[in-house]
Amino acid sequence: MNKRQTAVQMDKNLNRREFIKTTAATTAGVATIASGITLTTYANVASENPVTNEKRWGMLIDTNKLTETDIDDMIDACQEEQGWGSEILSTGDQKSGWIKKIKVKDTATDRISNLALMCQHCEEPPCVDVCPTNASMKREDGIVLVDKHLCIGCRYCMMACPYDARSFVHEELTDQREHMPRGKGTVESCTMCVHKVDKGEQPACVEAVDSDAVIFGDLYDSNSKINQTLKKIQSAQIRADLNLNTAVRYSGI
Amino acid sequence: MNRWLMVLFSLMTTTVFAHTDSDSHANLGDRATELKEAGESKNIHPDLTEIRIMHPDFMMHKRDKTLRQGVRTKRNSLKACVNCHSSTDKNDEYIPINQQGQFCSTCHQKVGTSLDCFSCHRSTPKEDL
Repeated sequence: MNKRQTAVQMDKNLNRREFIKTTAATTAGVATIASGITLTTYANVASENPVTNEKRWGMLIDTNKLTETDIDDMIDACQEEQGWGSEILSTGDQKSGWIKKIKVKDTATDRISNLALMCQHCEEPPCVDVCPTNASMKREDGIVLVDKHLCIGCRYCMMACPYDARSFVHEELTDQREHMPRGKGTVESCTMCVHKVDKGEQPACVEAVDSDAVIFGDLYDSNSKINQTLKKIQSAQIRADLNLNTAVRYSGI
Repeated sequence: MNRWLMVLFSLMTTTVFAHTDSDSHANLGDRATELKEAGESKNIHPDLTEIRIMHPDFMMHKRDKTLRQGVRTKRNSLKACVNCHSSTDKNDEYIPINQQGQFCSTCHQKVGTSLDCFSCHRSTPKEDL
């Protein structure tokens, strides 16, 4: 509290409300002390408050900047973070694929673009519509998840998803990641690294790309990089005709 | 009449002993034992009877809070349960908490209820990434 108070006094342009808003949003507040020493406080303490719909997490992928090796790096980072991809008994289509590298070709011009395709975190998710047990769900902040406590493994959501983003676990697993429970008989997909996002970090795939080919942030926040970039450049949703209003947007396709 | 009184008396004493004994656990786990010896366990589980009877309901409530509302405090985390109540073997490696003789399974076997947390959840404390 003392640190906060000093910081508020230091920056007179910022009123208390604004300051708390920004520190809470970024979870890392930086206050400059008069002598030029920078004081950084990281709020690593998990929040007691539920997420709200004041935010909507999204991603913008620039296919012109994103190289094929970048996509491979993203896939590796995802596997490392979430612990999928090392299933021994699953074959072919049974294998998990939270994030995939796909090529799209414009038949008129033969132009090929490479996409990293994962759960698009739709505003109107078809997977949530079809789920008979309410396991497929959308958090208030727009992240679409599977509640594996309730999942009965019927795989309706896999059929409903236009992006083929979901996988089914076909074998018994051990040594899962601590933050990512996975088990036989349940459906899984990209979680937008929700455990990292809740701590104020970025998803693993976004961190894996060095350039700014992949931007992650709050779509509603007019100060966020993703919001400002989306205002400036042309971007597209995949299968925009379905009116799902995806949170993952692509530019350059 | 005297015989019945004797029976009643012996029954009462066994109940009392059972209660004094119920404060201990066959395998509390490494960190939890340390905390108990340091006298800090009361800060974590103020009422032992409550946590013993109510823990399935607590977990059910908190799993929804964590997954659906994004509340990831220690108090709402199964990880925190596993971290304290896991034991290590001779080679200093963690034994899965649901294995025979470990914290979860000792009671669950005794009362004959299965638990399905660890077919998905990690059954040992944090991995070395």
